[in-house]
Order: sequence, then structure tokens, then C-alpha cells
Amino acid sequence: VSGLLFLLALCASATGAGVLGAILGLGGGILLVPILTIFFGVSLPYAMGASIISVIATSCGAAAGHLRSGLANVRLGLFLALTTVSGALVGASLVGVLPERLLKTLFGLALLYSAFMMLRQLELEVRVVGETDWLAKRFGLSGSYYDHLMARDVEYRATRVSGGATAMFAAGLMSGLLGIGSGAFKVLAMDYFMRLPMKVSTATSNFMIGITAAASAGVYFGRGDIQPLLATPVAVGVLVGSFAGTRLLGRMRNATVRKLFLPIVLYLAGSMLLQGILR
Amino acid sequence: VLLVGGLVSVALMLAGLLVLEAYALTGDRALDVPRLIQDRNVLVSLPELGHALRRWPPDPVALMTAGIVLLLLTPMLALAAALTEFVRERDSTYAIIAAALIVALMFGFAFRLGG
Repeated sequence: VSGLLFLLALCASATGAGVLGAILGLGGGILLVPILTIFFGVSLPYAMGASIISVIATSCGAAAGHLRSGLANVRLGLFLALTTVSGALVGASLVGVLPERLLKTLFGLALLYSAFMMLRQLELEVRVVGETDWLAKRFGLSGSYYDHLMARDVEYRATRVSGGATAMFAAGLMSGLLGIGSGAFKVLAMDYFMRLPMKVSTATSNFMIGITAAASAGVYFGRGDIQPLLATPVAVGVLVGSFAGTRLLGRMRNATVRKLFLPIVLYLAGSMLLQGILR
Repeated sequence: VLLVGGLVSVALMLAGLLVLEAYALTGDRALDVPRLIQDRNVLVSLPELGHALRRWPPDPVALMTAGIVLLLLTPMLALAAALTEFVRERDSTYAIIAAALIVALMFGFAFRLGG
């Protein structure tokens, strides 16, 4: 019975991570790794392996729902995934060349700046659709979704695409160099740089994180860091949670999602700065 | 594709967990999950997994690992479906982008899981 209870507790924690992951476009690893290591006594490599499973399961569950509701934009996701994966490949080939502490400090500062910019537009619900830049027009980076709260279709167009793509490349670069997830940076790049609705940003991020996580999943699997007995309750819980999170996101305000997202960005910024400055 | 991949993966993983639980019950021993999740008894390559899946009675670790591998491959399968759709729509730009992403992911998998 204790074994079953342990599995149920793991599954329940993963469900919570899946709900938040589907709403915030993060995959739930940021919550799951500390929960697994602190409360379940899981070693860090296995917790990281479970985190990869969590990211892909969230992406499968959430992206499928978000694509149906129109919140996730496939073209936008693929365009940005290409820049992120390119950044990750360049980053992985530069490991050891660039100083890790300096990179973490710079990444922390960039996140802190993004958090500040997000704070300034915390209550913003829908932006006025402006002129589309040429890259957005060339790559068809626009769309619309039905907003349940406003009871109308919301149209959006990406702007400052080169800035957004550069931020995505940088996020991938950091991911490849430091071995960290870049989900938060992806959402920030879409919300702040490309001026997309927050819900579109998190939903499209959910679609993208599965692709970028799959790029590094082979490493975790090959190293033996994915423990099947740990991965199973995590995958089940996260998948169930992501279905619930998808439904919740459709009924939330963009401003509410941004308010939930801000503490995560501040936590990541603080963690990066501490690691960069103190270690 | 994402949804079906996710659901089939999870079904395989749950089947493995049920087989493990059944073995524990027939052996009249409770499943010691906290100890087992620290166990290094994991399969780390596709040939090793294929061999374990052919065993009878079923190997619970192999079943769960098959679910894991399918889950890890699901984003690539979704990309393949997107590529087919873009080709059908004659959207060459996104067909190339989807193909480039598939090549990048396949390279990662072949390079790291082949042995």
C-alpha cells in the first residue's frame, strides 16, 4: 500500500506541475525537479530525466488542446523552434569556450530586465494590432483565437520578429551552453519582443517545448537518467494536469496569465544571478 | 498526433507498471517504489530495448521504457505530420523548416540512442 501511495503522491504532484505547465508554457520542470528531490528523495539526475518526460508530456497534452482552440500557432512555433534549436546546437558546440559564470549573470540580467518590462504591461489585455513587419509577412506569423471571456475573436500579428528570433536564438544558445530549460525566455520573447497575446505566447511555447526537449531527450535516455518507475507516474499525472490546464487557459485573462508568470521569471532571474555572482 | 502519441505512450507505461505490480503480488512482496526509483536497472539503447521486449513473460521495465521512447519520439512524429500537411498545402517555406527540425531531432536520436 505504501508503494501505491507513493506512486499516487508522485502522480498528484505531477498533475499540479502539468496544470501550471500548460497555463504558463513551461513544461512543469521548474516545479517538478525541486519537488522530486526535496519531498520524494529522488536523485538530481533522475529528477532531471523526469523533468524531460514532464516537458514532453505537457507539450503532448497541452499543445493538442491549444492547437484545437487556436491559441497555439504552428507556423510561429516552428519558425521560432528552428532559431532555438540552431542556438542550442551552436551553444552545445561552445561548451567550455565561454565562461559559465559570466553567461549566467548575463542571462539573469536579461531575465530581470524582461521581468521589469513585463511588470510595466502587467494589466494589458489585448494590444492594438499594428503594422506587420516584413518577416512576419514572409513567414505568415499572424492568427486569431476565440476569447471566451471577451466573447469575440482576437486577431494578432507578430511584430519585431528579428528581435524575437534573436532572443529565441539566445535562449537556445544558453540552453545548449548551460544545460538549462529556456521555456520562460521563449514566452517572454513572444509576449514582449513580438507583442503577441500572452495566452498565444504560452500556448505556442507549449507546442515548441516538446520539440526542443526532444532534441536533448536522447542525451538523458542514453545516460540512463530516465527511470521508468519514476517517469510513469510523472507522465500520467502531467498528461492529466495538462488537459485541465489547457481548459483553464482558455478561460483566463491575458493579464492573469502574465501575473502568474512574473514570479517564475523573477525566481529564474534570481537563481541565475546568484549562481553567476556567488558561485 | 501529439495527443495519440501521448496517450499510447502513457498506456504502455501504465501496462508496464501493472505487470510489475502483478509480479510483486504473485511473489507475495509489496512493491518498494522509493527503493526501486533509485535503481539503475534501466534500458539505455534501442537494440537493448528491442531485445527486452521480445522476452516472455513480459518485462515490465521494457514495457515502460517502450512508452518512454514513444513519448520522446512523439514531437518528431508530430513534426512529420506537419511536414506532410505543409507539402499537401504546397507551403514550401514551412515544409523546409519542418524537415530541418526533423533532421536535427533525428540526428540527436540516431547519435545518442543507436548504440
